[in-house]
Amino acid sequence: MPNLPHIQRPLRTRCRSAAMISLLALAATGRAADWEMSLDARLVTSDAGRSFMDGGLGATRYDRNDSGVQLGRARFALTASLGELWSAHLDASAWDDKDRSPVGVTEAYLQYRPYPRAGYRFRLKAGAFYPPISLENRAAGWESPYSLSYSAINTWVGVEVRTIGLEGQLEWLGTRTGHDFDLGLSAGAFGWNEGAGVVLAGNGFMLHDRQTPVFGRVGPPGAGALPFQQFDGRAGVYAGVEGRWLDRVVLRVLRYDNRADPTAMDFVSGAIAWQTRFNSAGLRVESGTGWTAILQWLDGETIIAPPGIQLQWPFRAQFALLSKRFGRQTLSARYDRFEVDSNIADGDGSQIGHAWTAAWMFETRAHWRLGLEWLRVQSSSYNRAELGGPPLATETQLQLAVRYAFGSGVR
Amino acid sequence: MRPPARLRRIGCTARRAARVLALLAALGGRAGAVLAATLGIHVQTPDGHALAGAVVTVRPLDAPPRRPAPAHAVMDQVNRAFAPDLLVIPVGSTVAFPNSDSVSHQIYSFSAAKRFQLPLYRGKPYPPVQFDQSGVITLGCNIHDDMLAYLLVTDAPYFGRTDAQGAWSTDVPRGRYRVSVWHPRLRESEADLERELTVGDADRADLQLRLLKSLQPAPITDRPHSWDY
Repeated sequence: MPNLPHIQRPLRTRCRSAAMISLLALAATGRAADWEMSLDARLVTSDAGRSFMDGGLGATRYDRNDSGVQLGRARFALTASLGELWSAHLDASAWDDKDRSPVGVTEAYLQYRPYPRAGYRFRLKAGAFYPPISLENRAAGWESPYSLSYSAINTWVGVEVRTIGLEGQLEWLGTRTGHDFDLGLSAGAFGWNEGAGVVLAGNGFMLHDRQTPVFGRVGPPGAGALPFQQFDGRAGVYAGVEGRWLDRVVLRVLRYDNRADPTAMDFVSGAIAWQTRFNSAGLRVESGTGWTAILQWLDGETIIAPPGIQLQWPFRAQFALLSKRFGRQTLSARYDRFEVDSNIADGDGSQIGHAWTAAWMFETRAHWRLGLEWLRVQSSSYNRAELGGPPLATETQLQLAVRYAFGSGVR
Repeated sequence: MRPPARLRRIGCTARRAARVLALLAALGGRAGAVLAATLGIHVQTPDGHALAGAVVTVRPLDAPPRRPAPAHAVMDQVNRAFAPDLLVIPVGSTVAFPNSDSVSHQIYSFSAAKRFQLPLYRGKPYPPVQFDQSGVITLGCNIHDDMLAYLLVTDAPYFGRTDAQGAWSTDVPRGRYRVSVWHPRLRESEADLERELTVGDADRADLQLRLLKSLQPAPITDRPHSWDY
């Protein structure tokens, strides 16, 4: 694994976070602000190897030293109208795992939302938010309503991918004009994504629900990766298409390229720009009887090219999720496959694995959610062997989650 | 699904008017010509099941069209949904859109029969909207994309919605009528579901209508509101 020193700039990060929070707090003083707070506590038992947040190569969030009671997430979200057509959105969380700041912002953006006209709807987002990739993370706070841990694909998106920039979306609302389907186009331009890819090459795919805050760190102080950096002066882009059949089927395709210059280095911190591009596709089918099936597919590569060498890690992952709702209960099963290749002769950074997830979720009418999840990840990793352990590991994590939410929108 | 009380009253008024007309005609000594009879409509899906909630409109072909009196209706916002999600109103009627939710809504229509936009913030009443043109109006919310409702603005003197047995009936003077059926999830054109029929000497005339294509599946309504749709 190439040695990638990262000097952290907590002060700058704190200033940025403070600016964002102040902007949104200002917005909240306006009319029509909705807010929500939630506290998610976990009872965990795990036999996994050392967790990524402690600098290890475990594929789950909690490792064998984390068994017991843990803070799953403490979250505060705010949506405020700024006049009739603009709104401000903030999602801030604390995870109690020694991140750069105790509270991190996972999303903060302004949205322009003119009324649909003549069957078309246009939307514009500016700020920090998720690009339209996941069909699984559809609940508030970009959480999955199906399981506690996200699929390998969406865990990676939560860790390293964020649009810090602009996104435009144009939709043709066929279902509102007598047709059976809607069509949408979206395009984004963003910066601060030179670090995306470093966690894939360093840790490989993982399955957890620890979203990296904007400008946050992945891993322990002093050694963690910083996915959200900008130093090569190039903006990344993505473009996607979405089709919907009534409210039953969603098909999403996206091409993403952070257009980082793989030869660029930040001479202050020593960080290298990771050129990461991928294709993503997803299909979600829901029935009127409570069944949901989700398929997602991801295929891409991440490249760095320090002087005289080009290192390349192609990656691909897929998952299939099947879920059934019984009133307020949801039972789900998911199968994940994932693979990171390497063009380095000895396979540095390569990983291959698969995972099974089974989860039961129960939501009361308001306020409470209970979740029970069993997760088993089997993976073989070059980096694990490099650290002196066996490359192959089977890791099992069992979590019981109790979440309480309250706020203006929660009754 | 029963139409709201106010609209049921409108239906009753129409029936009462028809009865009074028939009585007046009888007193005038022209009994055979306009005596009232019951017109019964039964709507079925292609597989023969009763279709509840279908909107039936009936227009006389012989007599000059008589417009129904405008009404005042209410479409509330409850639990991030329009309540009710379908209203049938005569041309010229007004509809009030209160907001009983704790969250804001921004309702809109881009349908040709009435284009409008109405922000519904908490605790702020807005004046009712008047609908002067007949047609189907699709309503949405610009904040909650899955909210959906319909207004059918009609110039027909007789209208209503089928009950759980797929049936709807009204009293009409004898004569020829055009019957139309509409449903928000209809996949065939309204013209394909138009029928002409004559209400003759019998006390009752019945019409059975079977859809040719199955309806669109009903929207999923039990998903938590916090999910994107």
